Amino acid sequence: MLETEELKKVFKGKIAVEGANLYLDKGESVGLLGPNGAGKSTTISMISTLLKPSSGDVRLYGKSVIKNPGKMRQVLGVVPQEIALYGELTAYENLKFFGRIYGLSGKDLEISIQRVLELVGLVDRQKEIVKTYSGGMKRRVNIAAAMMHEPEVIIMDEPTVGIDPQSRSHILEMVRQLNQEKGLTVLYTSHYMEEVERLCDRVYVMDHGRIIASGTKEELKSILSSEETVWMELDRPYPEFFKELQSFDGIRQAAEIGKGINFIVPKGSRVLGNLFQAAERHRAQIVNVTVQTPTLEDVFLHLTGRKLRD
Amino acid sequence: MKSVFSLQWQRFRRTPAMVLSFFAMTILFVAMMAGNNPAERAPVLTYADGSMTEQQAAEWVELLNAKEEFSFQLVKEAEARKAVSSGDATLALYMMEADYRLVLAADDMSRFVLEAFLDRTYREELRLRQMESQTADAGFRERVATVMKEPALRVETSTLEGTDLFQYDNQLQLLFGMSLFFSVYTIMFSLTKIVEEKKYGTWNRLILSPLGKWEIYLGHLTYSFVIGFAQIVLVFLLFRYVFGFNLGDRFAAMLLITACYTFAIVALSMIIMGLVSRPQQLQAIVPILATGMAMIGGAFWPIEIVRNPFLLAVSKILPITYGLDALKGVAIYNRSWQELAEPISIMLLFGVVCMGIGINLMERRSYQ
Ligand SMILES: Nc1ncnc2c1ncn2[C@@H]1O[C@H](COP(=O)(O)OP(=O)(O)OP(=O)(O)O)[C@@H](O)[C@H]1O
Ligand SMILES: [Mg+2]
Repeated sequence: MLETEELKKVFKGKIAVEGANLYLDKGESVGLLGPNGAGKSTTISMISTLLKPSSGDVRLYGKSVIKNPGKMRQVLGVVPQEIALYGELTAYENLKFFGRIYGLSGKDLEISIQRVLELVGLVDRQKEIVKTYSGGMKRRVNIAAAMMHEPEVIIMDEPTVGIDPQSRSHILEMVRQLNQEKGLTVLYTSHYMEEVERLCDRVYVMDHGRIIASGTKEELKSILSSEETVWMELDRPYPEFFKELQSFDGIRQAAEIGKGINFIVPKGSRVLGNLFQAAERHRAQIVNVTVQTPTLEDVFLHLTGRKLRD
Repeated sequence: MKSVFSLQWQRFRRTPAMVLSFFAMTILFVAMMAGNNPAERAPVLTYADGSMTEQQAAEWVELLNAKEEFSFQLVKEAEARKAVSSGDATLALYMMEADYRLVLAADDMSRFVLEAFLDRTYREELRLRQMESQTADAGFRERVATVMKEPALRVETSTLEGTDLFQYDNQLQLLFGMSLFFSVYTIMFSLTKIVEEKKYGTWNRLILSPLGKWEIYLGHLTYSFVIGFAQIVLVFLLFRYVFGFNLGDRFAAMLLITACYTFAIVALSMIIMGLVSRPQQLQAIVPILATGMAMIGGAFWPIEIVRNPFLLAVSKILPITYGLDALKGVAIYNRSWQELAEPISIMLLFGVVCMGIGINLMERRSYQ
């Protein structure tokens, strides 16, 4: 239903997004993943018609929305990255206002307010001033405000940044429900891999303004399916051993983390045997070894050479 | 537009402190300082030095008092100095044979008016004396006086803006000056809500809604206009009916002038909002701008006593100059609508131009 074609945005000579092609089918839940400054918010702003692309196109049901943003704005709900609320008003008053500007009034307005409040679990505290809310509650109202006009598509820009685990899991569960039970189309931006893994059917990975990988979670992971991640915990750090380990054939992305070492080896590799011998030589005591199939986090590391969050 | 407008009132009701404080400050300043009306004020303590005889000094004081603009009281030098240094008087006049000095304790705004008066009177008198000394005619002065009463040639003296000579009404000067001055704060700080909306992202929510952009701007602009206008008008009403200031009876004209002035300031504020990149910068810019405009435009002391050509030139581009001129024109000089048309249309023109520039600037700007 929604697609972009070669979206590009240049800010004063600095390229923020380049050649972004992505699409959303009705009822899908799609993740947009990338580290800070990857260009996620910029892409979202262009899709939601808040920012004019330097070039490229955004289409809704095949029609460009750049010249004619009205249709897109009708079906779209946007949850901005920042808390975009009036702090001195209550949650109820905020929602009432955001409903009114969508033309809601009277009973419909009241029903809508209670519906979204229920959705975000703030019915009991709707009469409190937003400024006095916890970070998590503000985030929830932030989402509720985007749901007042019952959008078909909701775009969420890092809706769980900086909040407590409880609120976070509440929000994730809510998004999952909206998507799976109400059939809402979701574009979910995050730099938390777990969230995207839990919520999204398909994922776009962005870095430095470009989409560097895309596909279903399984497809993405299969990029690394010929490899395994090994976590080897020792009784204490052994710098000498770590150095030797790095020189082994087939071992990639070795990293010393605390007392342990994390690295990737080809599937079925025999290198582990040699490793145990090397550990012996360095008198390093192995406490624990785990071999894992890759996570999206590993995929990201593989694609960009960086961790998602530092 | 209505929803954006009423939202601002809702927000105002939650945090009214700032606007109310500007309102209160206007009242406080006017009420405090209006007590010093020159007519009722304590006489200016005056003393002379040894270059004048006592009789000469008394003659000068009589001459100064004859104009009935200020009252002067001849005292001993020591007494005058003591009064000034102890704070009983803010100033004293020190007369010399053909010159004078003001002895000041604190800078008092009314001293500019006094100075202008003394300057005029001294100049006139000294010129008369000079001519007197050049004629042998003993009755010269009397004859000048008679001739002045029945001049062969009548010359109307008029100021640039109107046909009136400068009349000073301390109460109205203060009332108009302070209310126009403090309203700048109220208007500008109310409009910073636009900048805040852009910064905190609520602006984007408004843009994404079916509201037109002009509705959003208009909602904010109307709110700032109404609150600025209401502040000025309430102050006028308060001083007219509670403090009994004589504002004349042309209230419709005053409302119109106030409205045009408010519009001009709202428009000017839009330019300022378009120029800043962070809302916090306004905390510094607004006071500087408001005070600067008020000083140059004649809100703190009458523009009629300003002589510096540069400042006068600057004052010609400030709406506050025209606002004050028109308000005084109505209340003090009772000018006709025709005469008021000029300052009113200048304020309107100023407003329209600034609004155009301001909205353009705003549209280009992103806020951090
Ligand atoms: N208005 C702007 N003017 C100039 N540069 C900008 C502007 N907005 C974004 N950028 C730049 O574009 C790049 C992408 O920014 P964007 O906000 O889209 O990243 P992001 O993926 O959302 O990051 P984050 O996870 O921090 O939100 C950044 O380098 C940013 O500095
Ligand atoms: Mg972002």
